[in-house]
Amino acid sequence: MPDTSSHSATTASIATATKVDCRNINVFYGDKQAIFDISMAIPGRSVTSFIGPSGCGKSTFLRCINRMNDTIENARVEGQVIIEGENVNTDAVDPVLLRSRVGMVFQKPNPFPKSIYDNVAYGPRIHGLARTREDMDAVVQNSLTRAGLWEEVKDRLGEPGTGLSGGQQQRLCIARAIAVSPEIILMDEPCSALDPIATAKIEELIDELRERFCIVIVTHSMQQAARVSQRTAFFHLGKLVEFGDTEQVFTNPTDDRTQDYITGRFG
Amino acid sequence: MTSHIVSAFSEELETLSADILRMGGVAETMINDACRALVAGNAILAEETALRDDEVDEMEADVERRIMRLLALRQPMASDLRAVVSALKVSSELERIGDLSKNIAKRVAPLDGTDVRGVLMSMERMGRGVSHQLHLVLDSYSDADAQLALKVWSGDEEIDQHYNSLFREVLTYMMQDPRMIGAGAHLMFIAKNLERIGDHCTNIAEIVHFQVTGTYLTSSARPKAPLLEG
Repeated sequence: MPDTSSHSATTASIATATKVDCRNINVFYGDKQAIFDISMAIPGRSVTSFIGPSGCGKSTFLRCINRMNDTIENARVEGQVIIEGENVNTDAVDPVLLRSRVGMVFQKPNPFPKSIYDNVAYGPRIHGLARTREDMDAVVQNSLTRAGLWEEVKDRLGEPGTGLSGGQQQRLCIARAIAVSPEIILMDEPCSALDPIATAKIEELIDELRERFCIVIVTHSMQQAARVSQRTAFFHLGKLVEFGDTEQVFTNPTDDRTQDYITGRFG
Repeated sequence: MTSHIVSAFSEELETLSADILRMGGVAETMINDACRALVAGNAILAEETALRDDEVDEMEADVERRIMRLLALRQPMASDLRAVVSALKVSSELERIGDLSKNIAKRVAPLDGTDVRGVLMSMERMGRGVSHQLHLVLDSYSDADAQLALKVWSGDEEIDQHYNSLFREVLTYMMQDPRMIGAGAHLMFIAKNLERIGDHCTNIAEIVHFQVTGTYLTSSARPKAPLLEG
């Protein structure tokens, strides 16, 4: 037989050390099981995307990483979520502190009804991350710059965050998330309420942020997953069907269900 | 495989592969007719064959236009992406085969009145071999048969050997009789064209193999006959 070479070799260099190690995660809403025994090692300093049809459990699984499911009554999460060697899915870990390490950006931009400045300064303030006004100014400027928003808002930091355009609001939420210097940023369909230009800006931003953060993004746009992520996980009916290098998943998926989903054969 | 939710997408993909096969059919006929015209010294058939190249060119342009549209509108993924990219690449290989067949046909007239019967018999055999390779590789494309593609891919060695022996034969004719040099040069090009068509068939085999399996065949691993020195 002749040699055959798969393209996985070209993407092997992407693999980085595991940041979040999820082990045997099961999630129940009351009697109904939403996630079935999922284990997944999410690499640091890269973007991992979760794809799958509505109701497949991808958002539920994402919310296990910063214990957002705790806020849902009768939701129960079993299994270990190990971040940097520590299981955070136990009562011993304060979810508020955890969420300063694991930031989150939601589908609909949700700035606080405060000024642009205060939206970004809120997290550092409650976590005591800035001692002086100058420190805080620096954190705000730095966060807004990294979120690609500084140039657009630097002359109106006192105006309400809700007065910005949708795309700007979403970048403000990203600035707010990174202001507390998290290690991990979770994004739950961050672009689904944005126009293509604002989407492109967010995607560009995600690509820059992955140098510093571990980013996990849930998206309904296959093209977006293919564009922004290095690793892709496909969920179906609460199970993890396939998890691999994005290039491989989109050009040559190993599971027929992944194949059918990404080529638009069921949904 | 089940159909797409958007049924028009499935139809577009099916039409695309049907058109590739139709294009391949024309290219195969061109090889056969060019060789027949050569052996029979049939100038009319040669001319008709050369003219069919325009048909192949138009088909390629049409396939390319539709693929551009399909990529823009459907953004195919996974096996669909491989199918679309394969169609694009196969169509350009077939277009080259059309060009080379046309070139063979155009050399029929200059050979008129020369006595090269012995070489023509060998040439016809090589032509049959090449056309058979194209036939098989088109079958592998239509049936998504990676094994058959692999067989075509390995079978090119025989074409290369055929080319080497023809090269030697024509060279001998030319050395024996300097008046044969003009005809000999044409025959050399014809043999080279057939050998090139064989290479395009192996390229198509590689494309089919990738389309079906998602893995690349590396050209360096393919068995090859050594190239003859002068």
